[in-house]
Amino acid sequence: MGVLVKKVELSWLDRTYVWPVMKGMAITFEHFIKQLFTPTSKRYTIQYPDMKKEIPEGYRGLHELKRFEDGAIKCVACFMCQEACPARCISIEAEEFSDLNITQGFEEKRPAIFKIDMLRCIYCGMCEEACPKDAIWLRKEYEVAAYDRLSMQYGKWDLMNTYAQADGKDRISQDPTPSVPRRTIVM
Amino acid sequence: MDKLASMLHMTPAIFWMVAKVVIVFSAIMLLASVWTWVERRGSAMIQDRIGPNRAAIFGKIRLIGLSQLLADGIKFFFKEDLVPDDANKGLFWLAPFLAFVPALIGFAVIPFGKSFVSGGVTYHLSVLDPGNGMGLLYPMAIGGMAVYGVLLAAWSSNNKWSILGGMRASAAMVSYEIGMSLAVVSIFMTTGGYDPADVIKAQGHLPWAWNIVRQPLGFIVFFTCMYAETNRLPFDFAEGESEIVAGFNTEYGSMKFSLLALAEYSHLMTASALVATLFFGGWQVPFVQNPTVMLSVASFLLKMLFFAWVFVWVRWTLPRFRYDQLMHLGWKVMLPMSMVNLVFHAWRMSQGH
Amino acid sequence: MFITFALITLLGALGMLLQKNVIMAGLCMVAAFFGVAGLFVLLANPVAAALQIIVYTGAILVLVLFVIMMLNSHEEEKAQAPHPIQRWASVVFVSALAFGAVKLVLGSSGVKSLAASGEAMPQAMTLQKLGFALFADHLLGFEVAGLLLLAAMIGAVALTKRNL
Repeated sequence: MGVLVKKVELSWLDRTYVWPVMKGMAITFEHFIKQLFTPTSKRYTIQYPDMKKEIPEGYRGLHELKRFEDGAIKCVACFMCQEACPARCISIEAEEFSDLNITQGFEEKRPAIFKIDMLRCIYCGMCEEACPKDAIWLRKEYEVAAYDRLSMQYGKWDLMNTYAQADGKDRISQDPTPSVPRRTIVM
Repeated sequence: MDKLASMLHMTPAIFWMVAKVVIVFSAIMLLASVWTWVERRGSAMIQDRIGPNRAAIFGKIRLIGLSQLLADGIKFFFKEDLVPDDANKGLFWLAPFLAFVPALIGFAVIPFGKSFVSGGVTYHLSVLDPGNGMGLLYPMAIGGMAVYGVLLAAWSSNNKWSILGGMRASAAMVSYEIGMSLAVVSIFMTTGGYDPADVIKAQGHLPWAWNIVRQPLGFIVFFTCMYAETNRLPFDFAEGESEIVAGFNTEYGSMKFSLLALAEYSHLMTASALVATLFFGGWQVPFVQNPTVMLSVASFLLKMLFFAWVFVWVRWTLPRFRYDQLMHLGWKVMLPMSMVNLVFHAWRMSQGH
Repeated sequence: MFITFALITLLGALGMLLQKNVIMAGLCMVAAFFGVAGLFVLLANPVAAALQIIVYTGAILVLVLFVIMMLNSHEEEKAQAPHPIQRWASVVFVSALAFGAVKLVLGSSGVKSLAASGEAMPQAMTLQKLGFALFADHLLGFEVAGLLLLAAMIGAVALTKRNL
């Protein structure tokens, strides 16, 4: 399968080479002048640490484990996300807990350990799709970096606090004593 | 001036000589290093970017990116001075100097301002006074020497890419030097002298009497060949970073690399000074018959810096030639063109114009 | 000054002969050329100095180095041991040449004018004078040399290019 290359016939002016060069120089000079008289803030370049790009809706960034209003974790440790994850970066260990106030005598599940290896995660959003409780969201934070591999292992509390500052919520580091009966809360 | 000279126990003539050497060469070195900044910022502007602007003194003074120069200098100084194991150590060390010195001293004969008389003594504003007998042959001779820096840097690194770069540089240099020389010879011919002072005087203060109008063909040839001589894009075959890594300076780092880069920019400065002198009336100020000394220096500087900027401008406009295209252009276009130019002006002179 | 340039020339020439490395030998040759150029300047002939550097160091030696690099042979070819007669003949021939050259130079008008002073001192060479010498005084020699070089070039092209 050969490809036919169309040969462009150049006019004598183009063949002198001098004229096309001048045209090219004019174009670059136009860009130069335009850029020179544009204030820095209005140029295309986003000066990263000072300025940040506007993240579009539906962006899949760092995960957040959602919580109820009282601070209890929404996740019920059903392992759906762990199953769905193509990169196998989620590892969950479930535990049972019971609280008369909430569970009315039944035993309920929640994750004791919920770990995401951010070095393995490909931010595909499958866990978000799989979650029946809408407990894991991928949101707009993208500056996920650390000095060592261990700090890239996000635990349960890290994941619950990833957007605490952005949303103006308190950071939590232990399961609160739930005050509202869980079953009445509408999601 | 005489007082200063007597303070330093020198005769005024020697003091003037020393002052000229120091001022001119440090000015060129300074301009060359500033031009690395112009190159980076200019290229950024041309490509709708911003360019280096983050380096800051004490975290505050950015000087529109000029402090990047300082940062680069400090960085180059403290980098490890690597020499490859199989390199020819002596030549590897010598090559940056061989590149740098010719680039710098080529400027010596070019007058950068009008001569003036003070206390019965004529002071010439060029490092070598006019009438030295070498005239414009000198920068051409020195320009021919510049290739040795590239060639030796390439060969002593003992690296295939480097040697390819060095070979390309030497071939390009030899083939373009002929066209360039012929273009210059036709200027010598119409001027009737080969001293830069004569060339400038013959051009006068009227822009339409300058050699650019008299010999446009010669200008095109000379200017194109200058790009090949200084190893700048579109003819930077010695470097050719997309083809042969970084060409002749692949193995260079730290201060040696910085010296090679400085050599390139000093060469650029000398080349643009030559273009200004030969084709644009040197220090002549347009429409001013008897300019003051300062005005003439400013005029020369303006012309020189404009051409230095054109070097940058062209670099970011035109892509690199292919090697065979370079040879084609050099031998089959530039050489005949300069021949035609030469013969045409010889014919005109024989007609008594 | 003379001693400096003479030393540079001689040391360069010596280095060129003694260096095993071809490129280094070439560089020593550059040094020798520079010394000669300096001597030309001392002889009030800056034009010859400039031409020396433009033509020899700027063009010819660059080409030579180019060819050396292109072939890039690290192995030294073993030179055939010269026949004793060859050796002695070359010694005799070279010394005869050197003797002739020295005699020619000593007998020329240039050397005599070196001793002269005042008005008779030779003026500095300029490009104009060189032009007159080439195109008026020695026009025939110049043209013959040009013709020879042209013939040599055509011959080289014809020999190297197989299918014309």
